[in-house]
Amino acid sequence: MDLVRVRDDVWGREVLAGVSWDLLWLVLTAAFAIIIAHLLLMAVLNRKARPSAAGKKLARHAGVDRAFHWITAIATIVLLVTGVFPIIGINFPWLTPHWIAGLVLTVAVGLHVVRSLFFQDPLAMWIAPSDLKELAGGDVKTAKYSLAQKGMHLGMAVVVLVVIVTGLVLFLAIDTPWWNRTNSIDEATLGWLFLLHGASTLGLVGLTALHIYFGLRPEKLFYTRSMIKGWISEHEHAAHHDAARWSPEETR
Amino acid sequence: MTSYDVMPATELYQPVNIEDATALAARLGRKGWLLGGGQDTYGWLKDRAKRPDAFIDLTGIDVLKGIRSLPDGGVEIGSMTTITEVAQNPLINEKFTLLSAAAKTVASPQIRNMGTLGGNLCQDTRCWYYRRGLNCYRAGGNICYADSPEGMNREHALFGASRCVAVTPSDTAPALVALEATMLITSASGSRQVAAEDFFVGPATDILNMTALQADEILVSVRIPRKWADATFYHEKVADRNVWDFALVSLCAAFKEDAGQITDARLVAGGVDCVPHRLREVEQAIIGQPRNETTGEAVKVRATSAATTLNYNQFKVPLMQNLVLRALRG
Amino acid sequence: MSYLHIGKNFTPPDIHGKVTGKARYAEDFRVEGMVYARLYTSPMPHARVISMDLTEALAIDGVIGVLTADDVPEVKAPGSPVLTNEPVYVGDPILAIAAIDEQTAENAIAKVRVTLEPLPFSVSPTHTLRPGGPAARLEGNVYSGEMRTLEWKQDDVDRFLSGREPTGPAASEWQFGDLEAGFDNASVVIEESFVTSGYAHTCMEPRSVMSYWQNGKCHVYGSTQSQSFVVPFLARMLGIEPQNLVYVSEYCGGGFGSKIAAYPVLALPGHLSKKIGRPVMLRITREEEYYIGSARVGFQGWIKAGFKPDGKLSAVDLYIVQDLGSRQAGGDASSAGGAVSILYQPEALRLRDVPVLTNTTPRGPQRGPGQNQIAAVFEPMLDKAARELGIDRLEIRRINAPDSSAKLNADQGPVTSAYMVEALDKGADLWNWAQKKGHSRRRNGSKVTGVGIGQAYHDAGVNGYDGLVRITPDGIIHLHSGVGNLGTYSYAATTRAAAEVLKADWAHCVVEHGTTEAHLPWSSYQAGSNTIFTHTRANHVAALDLLDKMKAIAAQVHGGSADDYDIADERVFNAKGNSMSYAEVAQKAIELGGVYSGEVVAENLNGITKLAIAGLKGSGLIGAAKDELPKRGTAPGLAVAFAEIEIDLETGKLEVLDYLAVAECGTVVHPQGLAGQLRGGAVWGFGMASLEHHVYDPQNGLPANVGFYQTKPPTYLDVPSNMDWAATDIADPDNPVGARGIGEPAMGCATAAVMCAISDALDGHLFNRTPVTPDMILNHVAGLPQSFSALGINEF
Repeated sequence: MDLVRVRDDVWGREVLAGVSWDLLWLVLTAAFAIIIAHLLLMAVLNRKARPSAAGKKLARHAGVDRAFHWITAIATIVLLVTGVFPIIGINFPWLTPHWIAGLVLTVAVGLHVVRSLFFQDPLAMWIAPSDLKELAGGDVKTAKYSLAQKGMHLGMAVVVLVVIVTGLVLFLAIDTPWWNRTNSIDEATLGWLFLLHGASTLGLVGLTALHIYFGLRPEKLFYTRSMIKGWISEHEHAAHHDAARWSPEETR
Repeated sequence: MTSYDVMPATELYQPVNIEDATALAARLGRKGWLLGGGQDTYGWLKDRAKRPDAFIDLTGIDVLKGIRSLPDGGVEIGSMTTITEVAQNPLINEKFTLLSAAAKTVASPQIRNMGTLGGNLCQDTRCWYYRRGLNCYRAGGNICYADSPEGMNREHALFGASRCVAVTPSDTAPALVALEATMLITSASGSRQVAAEDFFVGPATDILNMTALQADEILVSVRIPRKWADATFYHEKVADRNVWDFALVSLCAAFKEDAGQITDARLVAGGVDCVPHRLREVEQAIIGQPRNETTGEAVKVRATSAATTLNYNQFKVPLMQNLVLRALRG
Repeated sequence: MSYLHIGKNFTPPDIHGKVTGKARYAEDFRVEGMVYARLYTSPMPHARVISMDLTEALAIDGVIGVLTADDVPEVKAPGSPVLTNEPVYVGDPILAIAAIDEQTAENAIAKVRVTLEPLPFSVSPTHTLRPGGPAARLEGNVYSGEMRTLEWKQDDVDRFLSGREPTGPAASEWQFGDLEAGFDNASVVIEESFVTSGYAHTCMEPRSVMSYWQNGKCHVYGSTQSQSFVVPFLARMLGIEPQNLVYVSEYCGGGFGSKIAAYPVLALPGHLSKKIGRPVMLRITREEEYYIGSARVGFQGWIKAGFKPDGKLSAVDLYIVQDLGSRQAGGDASSAGGAVSILYQPEALRLRDVPVLTNTTPRGPQRGPGQNQIAAVFEPMLDKAARELGIDRLEIRRINAPDSSAKLNADQGPVTSAYMVEALDKGADLWNWAQKKGHSRRRNGSKVTGVGIGQAYHDAGVNGYDGLVRITPDGIIHLHSGVGNLGTYSYAATTRAAAEVLKADWAHCVVEHGTTEAHLPWSSYQAGSNTIFTHTRANHVAALDLLDKMKAIAAQVHGGSADDYDIADERVFNAKGNSMSYAEVAQKAIELGGVYSGEVVAENLNGITKLAIAGLKGSGLIGAAKDELPKRGTAPGLAVAFAEIEIDLETGKLEVLDYLAVAECGTVVHPQGLAGQLRGGAVWGFGMASLEHHVYDPQNGLPANVGFYQTKPPTYLDVPSNMDWAATDIADPDNPVGARGIGEPAMGCATAAVMCAISDALDGHLFNRTPVTPDMILNHVAGLPQSFSALGINEF
């Protein structure tokens, strides 16, 4: 199995063409293996009952952040469907929805970056040394975000930023309503861009699969609810979070 | 750079029945290459720009050959029927002269004798960059050399470009789209029918292939329904040379008229899009109009309202308009 | 004058082979142990070979050996080496691999790993001339006798491209007459810029070659226009003496200027064969032929022409930037000036020329190199002047036409004879110009008619070559022809001048030709329309030498002096009734030896002829002589064509409806051959006028047209089914049978006539560009700008 695709350029020189799409199956297989392993583990552990969703509602995600999340999610799904389906042989006119979704994602991520850096606590998502004790296992109560959530965010942040940056450069290489392509990117550079775009796509495929899985896990479902409705219950907070590190306000 | 024009050693299968052919196609997938008259194939192979493991020669399968009338008054043409037969067949010359006229303009007499209808429909584009064996989008690469600031793209597309700006080279395809033909396709897992209009695929949908044929599928025949039999037809192909040349622009038109008015029409252009290009705006505009110069002058600009020109192909705009005018002038 | 052979049709001896398929071209030969070579060619338009890895290629079973640039003689830029480490165009051969069969060789080529360093390149002359523009070669961008770098100011480039009088420095210049006075005297001045595209020679037979070494001799089976003329050059390329070269080129499937002499690849199998010790066949493919097979030089130019009120051309100022491609070429511009100087007899003319190298396929002479390009653009300008002066288009040509007092070129030298007025009148009469000019701009639906007259010229005859004639004791007359079989049958037609002198029955004549083993005399190049003039002279003098010797032998046998003897019915006789048959004379010559049987040869003969005679000595009576007949000037080949065309304004398509060509080439030697020249030239001319051109992607230097369907030479359906021809048939005084050559103007006149007819159909519009393709006509009719860049060359 190849890791990358190479091709001859216009003058017969071997250049990178992009990531090998064989890796797509590897990534999907790995993601499903992790999911199945996790399912089995959770079945064996047979955790105790989950905290009640009743009681006081504590604010977890502001409306604007939830909107950002779901816009990003939809854009990502559209990007993955339009980007990956043609590769696996499901053909449809994908390019226009792909770049439109890419622009939506770019704007959403851009706003999120600005908001989180300047209007929110940028360290809330940063992995602190104190988070690392979660690695030891047991029922460690976390700050607003668990190490796993921070890890997922960090991973997503890296692949999404790479996919956006490379996507934007590649966007210059197609015709759009605003410009005609110039072919000014040489083929070797183009190959690197496609490699990074493809590799980050693979990362996105894997992370998205895991993200969706964990979002649908019964014991994590309240987080997904919080991403829809904005709150968690006081019991959920007490069960998973350290009030000293994160004490959200009550909300309606 | 290798020096070209030498065939590589390639396996050759010569099935004599369709079942064996579809079994081979299923087994070989994209590594197999369906072979008709070979007129498009051998150039690719000799230039070593495409390297299938094996040919599946379909010309020995009798059921793929010949022209039959259908019970509904239409005609069925086997995919391995030669272009010469299509051009000369009495049934087609009687009812569907649009197709015979188009077939008569294919390449040269020698190529028409060897080339098959199936091959003419499934042939690959003639974009010269792609034909050089360059790794452009259509060859699975990341770039189009033709649509670039100084690209030499006189023969390229006005419509339907999506990264790739290549055009359909087929003379018979626009005729079959105009005649609302259906393609009968078979594979080891069953048969299906596809409208001619959906059989041809543009780069937005599939940049690697020009037809909807899957790797394991074989085009069995083309069925032309009775609908347009004996309609009024117009065909014109404009190429630099009068023989052995691909169309700069071609136009296939079919009209039904009643009491001096057009009641139904199909106009399909070749050489301007990756697929046979329906002139829907023109078709709609001429319904209820008389077929004459005045109508032609009034509607011809609609043929190109969605055209996007490249560095060297703006001449196709007046040419398309003129062909529409001529079709309506009669 | 009444002739036995001259002016009569005959069946050239190679016809049977061509018709039956038995003719053996270079790639038809096979010898024991022969291997096949394939080329690895450059993927880049300009590069330097950094390294080669042949390990994988040479490891393939059946691969015998490799030849690289290091194995062949170096050639100084911009000459053409056999193989190169500095490829200068896409398709430039870098190495060759030999294997037991072609497929194995090609498989090995696919495994060759060559690392190339890309170098600056350009496919447009004006692109390289601009400040800081890329040079096509490391040694410079301009070749005029030597390589140099010439840079124009941006303003010079812009000015030239905008069609104004060029201000950039020229590389060379010549002039006659007072240009300023000429323009002062002019009442109409036409000033136009123009482009004529380069395009491939498109030989039907690619330049395949087979070679082997035997007993110290190199045997080469090639495809060339010339036969004997090739020998010294090819021998030098192979590093051997001419006597050690056996060169076979009995048939040549088209050369058209691209196979005049020893082209680089002709020597490749010889070098490879020597290296690996096996006979080597190198079959050149169609695509390779488009790379290495040469092409016409392209012009970007500017013309200013002044006409006096009576229509006489008073002054011409001509500036030509030549696209020479990537190797040595470049006489086209000067030849263009020469053609203008003779065809219109201007009082003053200046030619300025910038021969620029580009990283495109190498160029060379192509039928009417320079003359035919200028005919295509100057003749429509002549029509424009005629319109402005109110003179008939035929008349303005008559007014300026050369006669036997015509002068030409920078030195304003004389011609042997010229009868262009007679040619114009004959054509006008046969074609009914007076009536057909009324068809001008006649509308037929969307179609419009145009009529045009085109003229062209090429110098058509040289001198100083050798003839060799031999009679063997069986009475057979061997006409040794060193002339190559380039498809015009002149190799045989010229020998009929010898048969004429000898009053020989053609059935008793054998034309010896096509291989050095047939012992052939030194010959001119079969190019430049010269052969008919040159070799009727050489055959004539050789036959006279033979005749003198026959008479001398008869006098020795039967007494009296040689002057007492005459010939008839292949016998030498005197008034007394003594006679000898040619067979008997030949037998006697062997007995006498000395000058008669080739034991002693004339000193003034060329070394190649002496070699031939050395191989024949003692086999019969040998007549051989160098042509030292008087030649008082340039022997001009002239032609005029009349064409009626129809342009469909809605499709941009052009159709030639009616065509007549009139040759002004002295006495007609071989009517069928002349007809073939005039009709074949017309087909080619139509192609130049309306179909064929080089197209290169300027971004990566790739050629767009490397196949017949891409280069688009005219087909049967692109030319009229009937094309008429005629000839003035007025003897030239400087040729013993009155003949002059015609090959090249036969094409140029057709191009010019069609170009004039296009302009005529489109209300006098001048495209000033060849070819005029449907897209150009459509854009013009629609009022759209043309798609090509200003004076753009090598583009659509």
